[in-house]
Amino acid sequence: MSASSTRTGRARPPIARKAWRPVRAGHGFVAAYCVLLVAFGVVPTVYALKFAFTDAGAHFAGLSNFTSAADDFRFTPALEHVGLYLVFWLISLVVLVVGLSLLLHRMAAQGVSKALRFLYYIPGALAGAASVMVWLFLLDPTVSPVGFLLRAFGYDTFGEVIAPGHLPILFTLIAFWTGAGGWIVVMYGALNNISPDILEAARIDGAGAWQTARSIQIPLLRKWIVYMVILAFAGGTQLFVEPQLLSQASTGVAGRDYSLNQLSYDFAFENNNVNTAAAISVELLVVGLVVAGIFVARSGFFDAD
Amino acid sequence: MQTDTRGPAPAGLTTTGSRAPRLRSRPGRASKRTRLNPLPLLVLLLFLVFFVLPVLWLVLAATKTDDQLVHNNPLSFGSFHALRANWDSLTGFQGDVIFTWLRNSAVYSFLALVITLCVAVPAGYALAMTEFAGRRALLVATLVVMLMPNATLVVPLFLEVNAVHLIGSMWSIILPYAFYPFGVYLTYIYFSTALPRELLDAARLDGCSEFGVFRRVALPLAAPIVALVGFFSFVANWTNYYLPYVMLPQSNQFPVQVGLGTLLDDVPQFNPTVSGLAVHRPELALATLLAITPVLIVFLFSQRFLVAGMLAGATKD
Amino acid sequence: MTAKVRALRAKVQGRGRRRAGFLAAGSALLLATLAACGGGTSTGGGSQGFSPVKQTGGKLTVWVDSSRLAAAKLYQKENPSVKMDIVTYDGDANGSNYLRTKVSLFNRTRKGWPDVVFSSQNNETSWAVQAGFTAPLNKGLIPSSTLAGWAKGANDPCTVDGTVYCLRNDLAQTVLWYNTALMKKWHYTVPTTWEQYEALGKKVATEHPGYLVGSAGDPFTPEIYMWPGKCGANNVTGPKAVTVKATDANCKRMASLLDTLVANKTLSTSSVFSSDFDKNAAGKLLMMPGPSWYGGSLFQSTFKTPAHQIAVAPTPQWAGDSSPATGDVGGGTWLLSAHSTNLKAATKFLTWVTTSNDYQGKIAPGYPAYAPAAKAWLANQAASGYYANDITAPLQKAADQVWPGWGYGQFSQEAIWAATVTPGQTAGKSIVSLLPAWQKAIVNYARADGYTVSQ
Repeated sequence: MSASSTRTGRARPPIARKAWRPVRAGHGFVAAYCVLLVAFGVVPTVYALKFAFTDAGAHFAGLSNFTSAADDFRFTPALEHVGLYLVFWLISLVVLVVGLSLLLHRMAAQGVSKALRFLYYIPGALAGAASVMVWLFLLDPTVSPVGFLLRAFGYDTFGEVIAPGHLPILFTLIAFWTGAGGWIVVMYGALNNISPDILEAARIDGAGAWQTARSIQIPLLRKWIVYMVILAFAGGTQLFVEPQLLSQASTGVAGRDYSLNQLSYDFAFENNNVNTAAAISVELLVVGLVVAGIFVARSGFFDAD
Repeated sequence: MQTDTRGPAPAGLTTTGSRAPRLRSRPGRASKRTRLNPLPLLVLLLFLVFFVLPVLWLVLAATKTDDQLVHNNPLSFGSFHALRANWDSLTGFQGDVIFTWLRNSAVYSFLALVITLCVAVPAGYALAMTEFAGRRALLVATLVVMLMPNATLVVPLFLEVNAVHLIGSMWSIILPYAFYPFGVYLTYIYFSTALPRELLDAARLDGCSEFGVFRRVALPLAAPIVALVGFFSFVANWTNYYLPYVMLPQSNQFPVQVGLGTLLDDVPQFNPTVSGLAVHRPELALATLLAITPVLIVFLFSQRFLVAGMLAGATKD
Repeated sequence: MTAKVRALRAKVQGRGRRRAGFLAAGSALLLATLAACGGGTSTGGGSQGFSPVKQTGGKLTVWVDSSRLAAAKLYQKENPSVKMDIVTYDGDANGSNYLRTKVSLFNRTRKGWPDVVFSSQNNETSWAVQAGFTAPLNKGLIPSSTLAGWAKGANDPCTVDGTVYCLRNDLAQTVLWYNTALMKKWHYTVPTTWEQYEALGKKVATEHPGYLVGSAGDPFTPEIYMWPGKCGANNVTGPKAVTVKATDANCKRMASLLDTLVANKTLSTSSVFSSDFDKNAAGKLLMMPGPSWYGGSLFQSTFKTPAHQIAVAPTPQWAGDSSPATGDVGGGTWLLSAHSTNLKAATKFLTWVTTSNDYQGKIAPGYPAYAPAAKAWLANQAASGYYANDITAPLQKAADQVWPGWGYGQFSQEAIWAATVTPGQTAGKSIVSLLPAWQKAIVNYARADGYTVSQ
C-alpha cells in the first residue's frame, strides 16, 4: 500500500451531512457488526452487572459482592500493585516516547531515523507471552546478556531481581519494550504533521531545539499524548499475562494474585465465586468506561460528528 | 476482541482523521537538522540496544545447549548442531504439539481476521458514507468499546459463552476476536477522508443500488484499509493470551501463546518438580521464536505500508 | 463460596443427575456440598460407588508432569494397542492450581476431563471430591488386595471418610543426604539432632567457607525443615478445619536455626533447581536435608554428582525428643476421573503406573508408595551402586515416621511460603521475623478456601 493511496481524497471529515439523503441501506451494512457489538460488547457487560449484583442463588445481593471483594485480603494489595505499575508505565511512556520521537525527528539522516523507528518497533511482535519469556531470561543474572548490569545493581540471583518491590518497574520494562516502538512511530508521524513553517518561524526567532520542543512541538502533540495515555491506562489496568507467567516461572515467589484481573480469575476459577469475580470486572469496567467516556466527550479527538 | 490495548495499534490511522495542519514539504526540514550533537545520538543508540539486544539474544539462545546458555558468553553463537537438537526435542514435546499450537493460532487468527474484515469494512463504510437511524449512537458506542479495557470482559464473556455451551469450542475465541471496533473506526476514518462523496453520487445516478455503490465504488478503493485493519487484527489475535487461556481448556486446542506457558511449566529452572524429560531453556527460546515468527514476518513485509500507514497524514505528497 | 458455582453449574447443565443413593458414608458437610453440586457423576449408587458414564472406550487421555512422562511413554510402549493421548502439564506444582481450574472448566463444558491425572500435590482430594471429579477406587475399581500393598498411611491424603479417591505415587519422606567423601576428609560426624546439625553448620562456616549444609530457598522449605521440626503451622484437623500456630516454640526454634545458618552462608537461599544453584553451589554440598526423590532427580540427574559420594542418614531430631519425625515433600498422587468413558483401560493404566516394577521399581525417581515396588526400587538403587551407603534402612524407617501434625489442606503451603517468606528472605529479613507474616498469610488463604481457622 502506498502512502498516497490512503490520501486520495481530500474531503474533510464529513460535516455537511444534512445534504445527504438518508439511506436505509445503512442498516444492512452495519447489521453484522451490531450483532457482534451486542454479543461481545453489550451482553458481557450486562452479564457482569447481573452476576455482580446477585448471589449464588441469583437473588439480588446489593453491594455484598463488592464488599466481599474489597474485604478480601488480596484486593487492596492488587489495587496498589496495579496503581503503582500504571504510574511508572504512564510516566515512562510519556517522557521517553515523546523524548525519543523528538530526537528522531531532529535527526538529519532520514534513512537512519527510519531504520531506528522500525527497529524500535520490532519488539512489538513479541507482545504477550513471548515478551515475558524473553524477560524471564533477561532478568536472570546467570543467563542474561546484561547480567553484568544486574550484578552492578547488587542482584546476583533471579530471586533478588524479582523482589516484590521491583515488580512494577519490571512490568513497566516489559510493557515499554513491546509497546513503546509503535507509539514512537505514531508520535513521529504527529510531529511530521506540524507545519514546517511554524518551526521555521521559531528557528528564525532564535529558538533552540529545547525551546522549540517545549513551546511548539509538545503543545501540539498534547492531543496525541492524551490519546496514548488513555489507551495505555486502559491496557495497564488489564495486567494479567505478565504476573501470571512470572508467578509460574518463579514458583510462586512473585506475581501470584498480583493484579486485579488475576484476582478476578482466581475468584472465578479457584475460589468458585463468579459473583465476586464479576464484581471486580464491573469495577474495572466502570473505571475504564468513565475514562473512555470523558476522553470521547471532552477531547474532541474523535470525529463522531 | 482485543484484550491488550497497551500497544499502539489503535492509534494507527487516526492521523488521517486528525485536523493537524498539513505538512507541505519535506526538503525544507533537512536544512535545519544538520547540526550534529553526539548526546542525542548516544541516547538513541542506547535505546536501540534496549530494544534490539533482547531479540538478538533470543535468536542466539536458540542455538545453544542449556549448559552453553549458562556458561558461555550470552551473545555468542552456539552451534547449528545444538540448534538442530533443540528443534528435535522441541518438536518431540508431546508429539509435535508445537505445530498443533501454531496451526491453532493460525486458524483462530485467520478466521477471526476474515470475519473482522467482512464485518468491519461494510460497517465503517456505512458509518462514514450513509445516513441511518442510530448512526451516531453506534459510532459513540464503537468509540467507547474501543477504549474500554477489554480484558475485564473476559470473565463475564466466559460466563456468557458458558451459558450457550460454547466453552471449549474454537468459536468461543474466534467470535470475540472478530469483534474489533477499532477496525470499524479505522475504516470509518478512512472512508470519510479518502472517498469523495461525488463518486458515490455519480454511481447512484447511474442507477446503482446502495449495495452496488459499496461493491463497485467503495470496495475497490478499500485495499489499503483492508490491509491495515487486517494487520492490526492479526497481530492482536495472534498475541492474545488471556481469552484463550480461559476459554480453551484442552492442551491440543491452545494457541501458541498459551502453549508457551505450558512449555514454561516444563522447564526445570522454573518448575522445580520437573525432571527427566524436561524442556530446556534453549528449547523454550526456540519455541518463543517460532511463536513470534509469523508476526515478525508480517512486520517485515508490511514495514513500508505500516510506517506509511501509521503516519498516513505525514508522508503524503 | 463453592456452592455458588455449583448452583450455577447445576442450572447450566440441567437437572438430570440424580443424587439418590449417595453413599451413606460421609460427614454432613460433605453430603451437603455434594448435594448442592448435583452434577458430579460421583453421586449415585452402583457397585463401584458412583455411576460411571456410558463406557464408549476411545482414547485414554493421561495428564502427567514431565517427570512422570517416562511412565506414560513406557506404558504406551508396552501396550501399543492402547490408544493414548499423553499430555504434560505443570503437575500442579507449587500450588499452581492448574488442574483445579481446568476441571472447573471441564465441569462446565461437560467434557474434556483427562481419564488419569498425575499431580505432584497430595491435597487434590480436598477439592476434587467435591467437584465430582475423582472416582472412588476402593469400591470395586481396584481390588482391596492391591490397595493393601501401599505403605502404611501412604494413601491417607487420598482418603476421605474411608473412601480412597487417589493413589499415592511415591513417598517423599525427608532424610539427610550427605557427601561421605567430604565428611570423611574433614573428619565430621553425621548429625543426628538438629542441634548437632546447627553446630556442624557453624563449624563448616569457619573451617570450609563456601560449603553448604542445605538450602532454604525452595517453596518446599517448610516441608523439609518445619514439618520434621514439628512446627504447628499446618495442622489440618478436619475437612474444612485447620489449626495454624506458625509462631509456636518449634517453629521459632527451627526458624532461628535456619537464620543462623543462612547468616553464616552454610544454607543457600537459592532454589536447588535454579540455574544459579547449579552453577555455583552444586559442587559444594556437604549435607542436604531433603525428600527421598532428591537422590535420583537432584544429585544423580541435575547435579550429576559422581557415584559413591552421596549417602543417606535419618532426618535429625530435636535433642531429647523421643518420637522421631520426618516431613513429606510432595510425593504425588494419581487420580482417576469419574467421567471416564474408558474406566477399564484407565484403571488398568492406573494400577500399572502405581504398582508395576517396570516403572515404579526400575525407573521412578522417587521412593514408590506401593510397598512391593518400593522393595524392588530399593534393591535396584542398591544394585546401581550410585550411593555410598545402604539407603534402604534409613529410607524405610523415615517412611513410617512422617509427622501427622502437618496436614494436606486445599491451600498450598508451598505457594504461601513462596509468596510471603521467600521474598522477605531474599531482602535479607530473618525467617523468625517473618513468622507472623507467614501465620497471617496461611490464615488468610485458608479462610479464602472456606476453612475454619483456629489460631
